[in-house]
Amino acid sequence: MAQSVMKLVKQVPVLVELAKPKLSTFVKYAKVELRPPTPAEIPAAISDATVKVANLQKQTFRDWTVKEATINAVVGAEIFCWFFIGECIGKGSIVGYQV
Amino acid sequence: MAVTLPEPVRVSPLIKTCRWTALGLGIWWGTKRYAALKAEEDEIRAYNAKMKPIWDAEKAAKAAASNREQMIYLAKESGTPIPEGF
Repeated sequence: MAQSVMKLVKQVPVLVELAKPKLSTFVKYAKVELRPPTPAEIPAAISDATVKVANLQKQTFRDWTVKEATINAVVGAEIFCWFFIGECIGKGSIVGYQV
Repeated sequence: MAVTLPEPVRVSPLIKTCRWTALGLGIWWGTKRYAALKAEEDEIRAYNAKMKPIWDAEKAAKAAASNREQMIYLAKESGTPIPEGF
């Protein structure tokens, strides 16, 4: 038992070296795509949001192509999923509330 | 591994704000709900712990009474004499 644990511990630096290129690719994409909005971007986001709300009232979404509609639906679903990830973080568990 | 990966996408500010606001709202909602549910569950647990000795005593009394009745019935049916004050 102790010997297999020692073998595993020796493997850790090897695994870290293997993971480094994948990790660096992930970080390269994450730095651009997953970054939170800078304070300068927030007014642009709010004006964009008002445009979208006006579009919603004018019902321009009825002129979307099916491809546009699926893309927008997927983006909306992804934003919802971030809410659920936040809820999992807040409740401290993945599946249920462990009271 | 000669696959060239595409350039990272520049995400629109609206989507970024929405994502991270949703994350923040989710964390807030999770903590709030957890606190509320934990308070309820703690109350239920405290109530059960308080009532357990009472319920155990009630159950034991009921079991003793029914046991006594059955012994008396058996004694009657088998003709065994019942001792005084049973």
